[in-house]
Amino acid sequence: MNLDAIRDCLDGSIPGVMATCAPDGTPNVAYLSQIEYLDGSHLALSFQFFNKTRHNILANPQARLLLIHPQTAAMYRLSLRYLRTETEGPLFERMRAKLAGIASHVGMSEVFRLKGSDVYRVQAIEQVPGRPLPPSPPRRNLLAAVRHGTQRLAAAADLESLLEAMLASLREDFEVRHAMVLLLDGGGRKLFTVASCGYEQSGIGSEIPLGEGVIGVAAREGTPIRIAHMTSEYAYGRAIREAVAQGDEADRLETAIPPPGLAESRSQLAVPISAGRRLLGVLYVESPQDLRFGYDDEDALVTLAAQLGLAINLFRDAAESAAEPAPAQQRRRRVAGPTVTVRHYAENDSVFFGDDYLIKGVAGAILWALLRDHQAGRSSFANRELRLDPRIRLPDISDNLEARLILLQRRLLEREACVRLEKTGRGRFRLCVARPLQLVDVPAGTRP
Amino acid sequence: MPARPPAVQLDAEHVRFVEGAVSIIVAARDAANAPELVRAQGCRVSRDRGQVQLFVQSAQAQALFDDLRRNGRLAVVFTSPSTHRSLQLKGDDASIARARPADLARVAAYRAAMVAELGRIGISEALALALLAGDDATLSVVAFTPAAAFVQTPGPDAGRPLGAAP
Repeated sequence: MNLDAIRDCLDGSIPGVMATCAPDGTPNVAYLSQIEYLDGSHLALSFQFFNKTRHNILANPQARLLLIHPQTAAMYRLSLRYLRTETEGPLFERMRAKLAGIASHVGMSEVFRLKGSDVYRVQAIEQVPGRPLPPSPPRRNLLAAVRHGTQRLAAAADLESLLEAMLASLREDFEVRHAMVLLLDGGGRKLFTVASCGYEQSGIGSEIPLGEGVIGVAAREGTPIRIAHMTSEYAYGRAIREAVAQGDEADRLETAIPPPGLAESRSQLAVPISAGRRLLGVLYVESPQDLRFGYDDEDALVTLAAQLGLAINLFRDAAESAAEPAPAQQRRRRVAGPTVTVRHYAENDSVFFGDDYLIKGVAGAILWALLRDHQAGRSSFANRELRLDPRIRLPDISDNLEARLILLQRRLLEREACVRLEKTGRGRFRLCVARPLQLVDVPAGTRP
Repeated sequence: MPARPPAVQLDAEHVRFVEGAVSIIVAARDAANAPELVRAQGCRVSRDRGQVQLFVQSAQAQALFDDLRRNGRLAVVFTSPSTHRSLQLKGDDASIARARPADLARVAAYRAAMVAELGRIGISEALALALLAGDDATLSVVAFTPAAAFVQTPGPDAGRPLGAAP
């Protein structure tokens, strides 16, 4: 029997128990707070305390594990051999994030701290004789959902429809109601939200630093993180949301967009999106239910995220090498109504329409360049020329310009700004301005 | 009756705990110190509190019984599913006998108490009964004298000998 076949037993809803033996022949029994599946013949256990189990396995690496299937009550005994302890890296971070979830669930956050991930080889698996319940049929066939999701992604023609296809697949193929896609900033220090579904506020444009919360840690370590119970330690962005909600007079001109997120999230899964070895972003799903995402859900979303990553890369290259002819310059639409003052702060490239914060950073620099050109009589643009535009200062040659344009386009729509971006072809778009604008450039040194 | 005075004296409260609705896991080891374990289905402590009996499904415990017959050494953890309170007893004189009719009544009462206890943490009656199912015609009794006892509630105190200061 392969460990794959019984990994539902590792999910912690019924804790596993391990027997070890001291060199003097004294057996010992201990409950396990966390078991992590590694592959068909390896698992890892959390090392939290220097207890009897710890002493025993260091002296005598043989262990025996008793597991119970959470749906059928089938019992399994595993023969294990201790191999090593990891104290950093993806496995350790994944387990640490999960342990925070488990610990807060049982009210022992202060007591449960991961010291290491003990890796064991599974030498044998035996089913204990008994009368388990018949397995119930799965909620849905995840392999079929992956196939359908794959087809949706393959049918997308550009980055924007690709992101929509991903969210539609989560909603319709996986019955996941709350999700977001974040992409890595070219500088590699933070992620920005480019698409989301199921939240009151879309949070498009909100940023999460690498290493912060479930999403930031998944990105930094390049490993999926799945949490089955609510956790406060990794409640990414909650503090930011609260700070934004309570913003006093001093930061009235707030330039942080609150990240989306469920206030009472009880299950979370963050999956890195990569192309080859290069991290592009994170796919994140959550649910108000405990134990909503299992190993199979994680496998399914990792598989889809792999395809998403390859497609994102493909579209990034395609959008800028597009040879579609520029459409004939159309007559500019009539502008009407009172003049709107648009301020640009060179300090951080933040842009305000009147007193309303719109965007900052690279997307802010792009918008400002477009508005300046528009004042000079232009309204049609190509991605390729933007990449070369010295005013924009993309942090990296590999920066996803298309993603920033999508972000900018959505932000303009959501804030009901009097300016819109309209796609006019592959790698081309138009700036539409509905009101007369007065552009004010505030030099560096003056913070908004 | 134990052959020698027990090294550990259980008090009345300990007896109530280990005889109550607690999960019971028994471990042993073979000549090569390879451990083995099984879930027991109830417990009885002798009137003088010197001997502990555990009810075990024989079909689930063949290897464990072999180990106990050879060296008599065992460890048992009693854990309350709802509070995580946990107590570990160890012994080195374990023996195995067939269950008597009075034992079967104990096991039936244990199952009923566990179904109620597990229900409190959201485990269905069907699942709890499946977990504790067995063939009572071949039920065995593992008896031993507690030689050591440890607090095993999860946390930094786990493993502290009973009676020692935390």
